[in-house]
Parts: sequence; C-alpha cells; structure tokens
Amino acid sequence: MKVKIGDVVLPGDYCDEITADGVKSKVVLGPGLRKEVDHVYIMKAGVLRKRNPNTFWVDSYQKRYVPSRSENVIGIVVQKAGDLYRVDIGGSCTAALSYLSFEGATKKNRPEVQIGDVIYAKMLVASKDMEPELVCVDSHGKKGRLGVLNDGFVFKCSLNLIRKILNPICPLLESLKNEWPFELAAGMNGRIWIKANTMRETIAVGYAILGAEYLSDDEIKTMCTNIASILAGHVS
Amino acid sequence: MVAEDFKDFKLKPMKCELNYLSKSDGSAILAQGETVVLASVNGPLDIKITSQSMEKATLEVLFSAKGGKPNVSDRFKESVIRQTCETAILGCLYPRTGITVTIQELEDFGGLLTCAVNCTCLALLNSGLSMKHVVAAVGCALDDSGNLVLEPTYDQIQSAAATMHFVFDSRAKTLVTGFTTGIFSEGAYDEALERCRAASDLVFDFYREVVATYCKVIG
Repeated sequence: MKVKIGDVVLPGDYCDEITADGVKSKVVLGPGLRKEVDHVYIMKAGVLRKRNPNTFWVDSYQKRYVPSRSENVIGIVVQKAGDLYRVDIGGSCTAALSYLSFEGATKKNRPEVQIGDVIYAKMLVASKDMEPELVCVDSHGKKGRLGVLNDGFVFKCSLNLIRKILNPICPLLESLKNEWPFELAAGMNGRIWIKANTMRETIAVGYAILGAEYLSDDEIKTMCTNIASILAGHVS
Repeated sequence: MVAEDFKDFKLKPMKCELNYLSKSDGSAILAQGETVVLASVNGPLDIKITSQSMEKATLEVLFSAKGGKPNVSDRFKESVIRQTCETAILGCLYPRTGITVTIQELEDFGGLLTCAVNCTCLALLNSGLSMKHVVAAVGCALDDSGNLVLEPTYDQIQSAAATMHFVFDSRAKTLVTGFTTGIFSEGAYDEALERCRAASDLVFDFYREVVATYCKVIG
C-alpha cells in the first residue's frame, strides 16, 4: 500500500514521497526503511516520520536491542578475556570493550573494572557481521560521562521509552529534576541506571519513568507532581 | 472480476492484544471468533554455533497444543508457520542469530492454523523485527454440495468435503503458503483462492487498526 508521511505504516508499504525527494537531493533513510529496486519500502510497524530537510524514519515499538554505531548503552561486564572485557548489552551477542579504551589507561595502568560492574559506554563498531565494540572515551581521549557506574539501580524498559524520555520535548526529566536530586543514565539498549539519595527516591524515579511509557505530555506533568507530593508528604 | 462479487462478506470478529507477555520481545494474543491463540517472539538471540547460518537468521517455531502432548500434526503446523515467517522476515539483517517463535493454542473452534499464522504475524510486528511484508491467512471449507464457506466453524469443518487455507503477502497479495485437505476440483480451488485473496484485505486492515491504537503514544 502507498503511504504518506505521518501515516500508520506496516511492513511492505511503500512511500513515493521519499523517492521523489531522492531525485532532487540526497535523502537519509533511518530505521525501518529500506530501498529496493523500484520503491522505498517500510520494514517495521509504526508511524512514518520526516525531519526536514531530508531525513526519514519509522517510529516503532521494540524491546530487543540491535546494536548501532555511536549510541550510548549501559552494559554489564560478564567476562574478562585477556585484554578485553566482554560486556552484555542485551543484543544477540556480547560486546567487546578493550581495557585501553578508558581515560588514562595504559598497558601498565589497568582500569579497575570487575565482573558484574555496570558500564556506560559508546558503541564504536556495530555491524551485523561483526562483534560489537565499545569504548569509554570520546575521540579526545576524555571520559566525559562514560565509564563505570557505581552504586545506583539498573532496570530494563522498552527501547522507545528511552527515546521518549531523551527527546528534548519530553517533560518527564524536566519536571522530575526540579522536585528532588538524582542521577540518571539512559542507555539506548533499553536500560536505565538511576541513583538518588534514598531508596524511596530511587524507587520514585523508577516508577515515574516506567509510568510515562503510555502517557501524553500533560499527563506526565501531572504524574510527576503527584509523585513529588506523595514523596514530600511522607518524608517530612 | 471475481473479487467484485464477494465484496459484502465478513470474517469472524477479531480481537487482539499486543505485548500480552511482559518478558518476551514481542507477543500477541489473537481471538478470531472463538478460536484463541497466544504467540511470543524472542530474538535476535545468540544460538549455538551448529545451528547458526552465515547468511540469515535461524527461525525456530514451537507450537504447543492445548492438550500439551506434542504430535505429528503439531510438527506440520510448525513447519507451515516457519516457512511462512521465513518469507516475511528480513533474516539477512540478522545473520548468525536465532529467532524463536512460540505459539500456544488456547481455544480451537475451527481455523486454528489461520489464527496461529495471523497471531504470529502480529507478534512479529510487536517485536520490531524488520519484515519484507506482513502476511494474512484466510481459510475456507467446501461442503458436500460444493458451496464455499469462508472461515468455517468447527462443525462445518468436520462435515466438509475439503478445507483450504491460504496465506497472502501484503505487497501484491501473492500466495505465500497454501495448504489443503480433502478432495476438490480445480475450479473450486481457484474460486476459493480468489475469495480468500479478497478477504485478506480485511485482515490487513485489522493489522493497521491494531498498530494505530498504540502508535499515538510511543513517539
């Protein structure tokens, strides 16, 4: 079936608007789109979106992570193998993380990473034919916010919830950060790490994030105020 | 021309819930009339090296009947569903991985296999795996006097001379899978094929409706 931008799409639909734009200039096909001989076909069920000038993608529901390059993910170290750490990132196989790809690490000076540690890292290599590779430094050799996450609490959620809360227009984190202090790291692989001053506050952040999955922006704001008032009422 | 004549038909009412299971990557429960099937999809996952394929994802289908005891007819259903799904999934995007589909029969009042194929397709849509197209299965029965009954009930199937099931893709409505039992003429087969092809539109519309209900809030 022929579809337009903003439509609900199913795999096997095609969009001629993209093909028409492609004649004029280069277009970027995001997740869920695939060019075949004659048309641009949809591969995932969801909503077809466009960002000007020429980027197209499909917003779809997904829980299983498929690695893709330059995304920040949260992984758990499962094995030390020679000069590599094997990190479980929730994909089809574990990712490799070299012990040299930490800030200030040398052959003599190994970073202190134990099996079971939670790591916030960036995807360096993510191809369907190769083992994914992670780094904990940026291209200047600085760690920035990457590295081992100490303490805190990790939980899983769907991939589109991560995309939703990281979207700049989503009011969730904006409303929560004014209510009580906490730290948060969201991995694009559907894992969230949170750390707050007390257990109560940590659980409250967790529930606020999970509760936001099927809510609209206004409902999210109301929910955050509710949670904050409940929390404040009991603490004081 | 044939499709024109059968515009005013109805399929059994379909009801569906996606993401029915919280732990699996994609799941769906589908009721077609009184037949109910639950399907769950997991993958792409790591599998053992002997069953890995360099070119594409390995698909594994498990069908568990209501009675619990596996038998030969379940194996047949598994292979029908596996081959249907293999055409629909873009397995080349996930080489050396495995995709597991588990189907649980809950109620069987006729048309179990068509319901299972449709339910699997919905579970695959929910899992976010890349697919070439969606598939829709439609069944019909040929009674003793030679009349075609679309989506037969359990009693109609028991008394039917032949049953025919067809699976179509969503791109050009070409036949993906066909399975038949009993004795029928070539003409009856062709008529059944055209009727089911026309009826598959309703199933595709239903898929779109289901996806539209949750699409508003995921962005």
